[in-house]
Amino acid sequence: MLWRERLQGFFFPVETDAWVGFLRSGLGLQIILYVLSLKDDWIYLFAETGDVLIGRRFSEALLSIQSPLVPRLGWLVALGGGVGLPEWLVLSITWWTLLGAGGGLFIGLFSRSSAIIAWFIHLCAAQSGGLVSYGVDSFMTIGLFYLMLSPLPGRYSLDQKLRQVGAKDLQMLGFWRRVLQVHLCLIYFFGGITKALGSGWWNGSNPWRALIRPPFNLIAPEILVRWKSLFPFLGISVWVIEVGYIVFIWNRRTRPIWLVCVIGMHIAIGFAMGMYLFALVMIVLNLAAFGPDWEFAKARETFRFLGLRARS
Amino acid sequence: MRQRYFYLAWFFLHFLFIVTVSCREMLRMLARGPTIFPSSFNRSSQRVETTVAALLGEDLAAPNPARRLITTYLHAAGVERGYGYFAPNVPGTYRLVFELHYHDGRVDYELPRVNSNAAGLRLAGLLDDIGRSRYDVLREYLVKMLARSVWREHPDAAMIRAVLGSISLPSIDEFERGAHESSEFLYAYDFSLRADSAESQKH
Repeated sequence: MLWRERLQGFFFPVETDAWVGFLRSGLGLQIILYVLSLKDDWIYLFAETGDVLIGRRFSEALLSIQSPLVPRLGWLVALGGGVGLPEWLVLSITWWTLLGAGGGLFIGLFSRSSAIIAWFIHLCAAQSGGLVSYGVDSFMTIGLFYLMLSPLPGRYSLDQKLRQVGAKDLQMLGFWRRVLQVHLCLIYFFGGITKALGSGWWNGSNPWRALIRPPFNLIAPEILVRWKSLFPFLGISVWVIEVGYIVFIWNRRTRPIWLVCVIGMHIAIGFAMGMYLFALVMIVLNLAAFGPDWEFAKARETFRFLGLRARS
Repeated sequence: MRQRYFYLAWFFLHFLFIVTVSCREMLRMLARGPTIFPSSFNRSSQRVETTVAALLGEDLAAPNPARRLITTYLHAAGVERGYGYFAPNVPGTYRLVFELHYHDGRVDYELPRVNSNAAGLRLAGLLDDIGRSRYDVLREYLVKMLARSVWREHPDAAMIRAVLGSISLPSIDEFERGAHESSEFLYAYDFSLRADSAESQKH
């Protein structure tokens, strides 16, 4: 096979639209939960006037020094101010719009517009609230950025059912899935390598510290300490799973094992440290990138893929 | 076919940025230490980090259009940061307590508040950023902003003292010997409300 054909085969494999349908619905659910989780704090976190935590002026000023072109909530507030809308109303409209976009993504209605709106508003919030943003915001931006550019609406969408909008270019579906796959490999590779640089991930002190560190200390240290002999194993496992991801996720035999390990790791982080949104977005990205094709009619094959092949 | 080449070119550029940002962060960790590598690595890592940062246009002047374009793209794609969460080691954490002094001599204590657990995670990140900041002016500014939010709820307070401390986490062995997390005083700022602006005094 010519190298050009090999290249073509790697970067533009033929894919179904099942994965993009899963990514769309998964990120839609993520957006809905993100918005609802901040319902009582949205204006408090992102407003500049009135009852606010820290205001967005500092983050936006810092952003302006880096680049005045990065989207931010200040643009929307200024736009609303131009037609006489107060800041709180603009922020409330932003919250509802993001919720609507999340719902649109979840059910696959106006998928492209919903994806663009969700990416833009979430990016504005993440950048304007730079001081109060964390990892989950980066991963949501990454997911929404790829979703917005991918061939939409994907499987099981209302767009497909009501407007007969279907996947046109199966190779472009393959290309965007490949982009997501390579990105996840790099995320885990660098995440694992940087952890392996710290002695605490070898001797088990870092998992212990992560679990007793406020505000992630959901499990009492008295319970954790009973399992102290497991911490070195846990620490090493975390970075081995992450570094090994780039190798073992590509092999069809090891993929189910690695996928189960990574998803298990995120579920554990979610429940043990209270980082539910972080866990959800990582699980959605992993399953969209490397999960089996999500067809309900193929449920039996899916279980076989995750279960029996992992044991073989 | 031409369209495919365009996508391929984007693919390589996009992942070049991601790898560069991630390498820069890793080198920064090596430069700052401590890591499993000897401290002699620190200086050489710092030199390489500067070279790698140049690939992202960071050696260009801030208003340079190329630098701004790259920065905008990195932020829009969500790839402006690396992925070294809790690496190379899990850092300690910080706590901010406000002492509210009233005219009648009464003293109350308040913590920065949010209304949900989701926002609580974000607030913890903010306090860590404040605690880790190497710039006094920046730290004071951010503490003042948080003090204002407390003041809005207690407008009759005459003075607010913000006390920032670091929390040391015990090791497993220390915990078994009965040690618990301990706080260490770092900074205190006094804010008094004069002419609608909080004035501060650092201790």
